[in-house]
Amino acid sequence: MRTQNATAYRFLTPYLLIFAIFWIWPIISSFLISFQATRTVPWRFAPTFNWGRLIGDPAFYNALKNTLLILVIQVPVMIALAIVMAVLLNSPLLKARGLYRFAFFAPVVVGEVAYSAVFRLMFSLDFGIINKLLESVGLAKIDWFSNVTPAMALIMIAVTWRWAGYNAIIILAGLQSIPEDVYEAATLDRVSKVKQFFHITLPLLKPVIVFCAVLSIIGTMQLFTEPFLITERGGPGGGTETLGLLLYRQGFRSLNFGYASAVAYTMAGLAIAITLVQLWLMREPK
Amino acid sequence: MAAVTLTNVVKRYGVFEVVHGANIDIADGEFVVFVGPSGCGKSTLLRMIAGLEDISGGDIAIGGKVMNDVEAADRGIAMVFQSYALYPHMTVEQNLSFGLRMNGNPKADTDRRVKRAAEILRIDELMQRRPKQLSGGQRQRVAIGRAIVREPQVFLFDEPLSNLDAELRVQMRVEISRLHKELGVTMIYVTHDQTEAMTLADRIVVLKGGNVEQIGAPLDLYDDPANRFVAGFIGSPKMNFLGAKVVETSNSAAIIELVNHGGARLRKPLREAFPAVGAEVVLGVRPEHFFEAGEGDCDIPVKADVAEHLGSVSYVYANAGPEELIVEREASRQRASGDHFTVSIKAERSLLFDKAGARIR
Ligand SMILES: Nc1ncnc2c1ncn2[C@@H]1O[C@H](COP(=O)(O)OP(=O)(O)OP(=O)(O)O)[C@@H](O)[C@H]1O
Ligand SMILES: [Mg+2]
Repeated sequence: MRTQNATAYRFLTPYLLIFAIFWIWPIISSFLISFQATRTVPWRFAPTFNWGRLIGDPAFYNALKNTLLILVIQVPVMIALAIVMAVLLNSPLLKARGLYRFAFFAPVVVGEVAYSAVFRLMFSLDFGIINKLLESVGLAKIDWFSNVTPAMALIMIAVTWRWAGYNAIIILAGLQSIPEDVYEAATLDRVSKVKQFFHITLPLLKPVIVFCAVLSIIGTMQLFTEPFLITERGGPGGGTETLGLLLYRQGFRSLNFGYASAVAYTMAGLAIAITLVQLWLMREPK
Repeated sequence: MAAVTLTNVVKRYGVFEVVHGANIDIADGEFVVFVGPSGCGKSTLLRMIAGLEDISGGDIAIGGKVMNDVEAADRGIAMVFQSYALYPHMTVEQNLSFGLRMNGNPKADTDRRVKRAAEILRIDELMQRRPKQLSGGQRQRVAIGRAIVREPQVFLFDEPLSNLDAELRVQMRVEISRLHKELGVTMIYVTHDQTEAMTLADRIVVLKGGNVEQIGAPLDLYDDPANRFVAGFIGSPKMNFLGAKVVETSNSAAIIELVNHGGARLRKPLREAFPAVGAEVVLGVRPEHFFEAGEGDCDIPVKADVAEHLGSVSYVYANAGPEELIVEREASRQRASGDHFTVSIKAERSLLFDKAGARIR
C-alpha cells in the first residue's frame, strides 16, 4: 500500500512541482510583497506602506465603488436572464434546441479582443447599430463612451451578453435534473404552471443558482477585460475603472508590485466575504 | 366517487400504436387492478385516465362525464406514482397541504384534511421531516397521503409498491386494501405482480401488448381463464402446459394424447367447441392439480429434478420427457432429486387450449 502511494507521488511530482512554483508560491509571495515598499531598490519591509495607502486612496475607493456597482446590478440581472433562457431552452415546444444551446454558449468561446472590438463598433456614437436602432424608434442617440453612466451600462451589457448563456447552460442542467413526475404530481394537485415555477422549480434550482451566483461574483470581482478593452482602460476618466484595472495599472504600468498585491488580496478577500454572506443567506433551513 | 368507463381507447405514439382499443367498465367504488407484463400499456392507460397523456382515439368518462378534453387538474383524480414524486424541498406536512394551499383552500379545512390523512396512514410523527429523511415505506405513505388529502373521486396507483422490499410490500398491500374499505372510493391500481393483483382486486384487467385479454374477478380468472396467456399469467407458480394431440372426438368430449408422455390419453369432456382429429392442442394443469397415481383420469410418470420446500407445501420441478412440470405436493422431504414417481391428471381439473392459445371449452 505504502509503496503504491510512493509510486503515485513520484508520478505526480512534475505536476506538483509546477503547481507549487506557479500557483502556491505566487500566492504566498504576493502576500509577502504586499507588506513591502516596492518603489525603492532594494525592496524593504514596511507593513503599513501599501495597506495604509490603500485605506486612504481615492482611486481605490473609486475602483471599489465601480466594481461593487457592477456586481450588485449585473449579477442579479444576468442570473435572472439565465434562468429565463434555461427555462426556454428546456421547453418541449422549442425546435432546434441544439442550435440555441450552441448560440447561448458561443460568447464564452469568442476571443475577448474580437468581442470587445465588435462591441465598440456596435456602440459607436455615429456608426453603431445600437444608436441607429435608438434613433429609428425616435430616441436620442447615446454617447456610450464619453459619459460615466452609459459607459457603466455598456460594461454591464457586455458582461451579461458574454456570460448569461454560460450560466443558462449550467442552470439548464439543474432544470433537467428535476424529475418530470414531480411536475405531474403538482399538475394533479391543481397547481398552475406559474406557481409550479415559483414553488417547485426555483426552490429546487437554488443550489445551482447559488453556484452560478458565486462563480459570477468571483468573476465580476476580477473584472478586467471589458473596462480595459471596451471603455479603454476604465474610461471615461476612471469612470469604469475596476479593482482589476487598478491592480493592472499599479502592477504593470507603474511597476508598484507591493500596492498591486495589496489590491489583489483585497479583491480576493472581498470575493470570499461576499460569497460567504451569500451562502449563509441561501443556506438550507434546518 | 365515480365510475370510470373506457370506450375503444386507443393510444398512438407517432405511428406506433401501443393501446389498441381498450373497453373497460369500472363501477363506482370498485378496486380494479391492471396487470400484465412490462411494456403492455398499463401505465399508458392509467396516465390517459389521469389526463397526463392525450388520448389518440375513443372516450374516457369519469362519473358519466367524458373527460377527453378536460385538464388533468379538473378530473377529480389523484395519482400515486411509482417513484412517489414527493416535493423534495418540502416537509411531509407541506407535501400533503401543497395542492390545497396553492388553490386557496381555507386553512382550517386544509389542516383538518392533512390531520386526517396523517392519522389514516399513521405518519403524524413524520410531519416535519423532508422526503430525504424518510424510509421507502414512509415515503410511500406520504405519497398516498397526498392523494387522500385531495379527496378525489378516483385514486390511481402506478406500481406503488415496486420499490419496497418483500415484507413491506405485503404490509402496504394490506394497508391499501384497508384504505379502500375505509374510503370506499374507486381505485385503479397498476402492477405487473400477479400476487398483488389477486390479493387487492375486486376485478382484474389482464393486458398484453396493448390489448385487454380478460376482465374478471381474481378467482374467475384463476379458475376460468379465457386463454393460455391469462392462464399462465395468473397463478404462482405458473400453470403447466403439456403438448397434446386430438385422437378422437365425440359429441361431448375429445380424447387427447399427451405427446410427450408415452402416449398417455385423457378424455376431456367439452361443451362448446370440438377440435378436429389430429389437431395440436395444449393441456393446462395447475401445480396443485396433479393428484396421486390412480386418483385422476390419466397417469404420467415423471422424474424429480429439484424440490423447493416452502414449509406448508413443496414444489417439485419434475422432468417428463422434454417438458418440465411443476408439481405441488404436501410438505414432505421424501422427494429427492432423481426420484421417479407418478402424477395423475383429472379432466375437470385441466384446461384445454388450441394451438393459438384460445381456450377450448
Ligand atoms: N413516450 C413514448 N413514446 C413512444 N413509445 C412509448 C412512450 N411511452 C411508452 N411507450 C411505449 O408504450 C408501450 C407501453 O408502455 P407503458 O409504460 O404503458 O408500459 P407498462 O405496461 O406500464 O410497462 P411497465 O410494467 O414496464 O411499467 C411500451 O411499448 C412503450 O415502449
Ligand atoms: Mg409502467
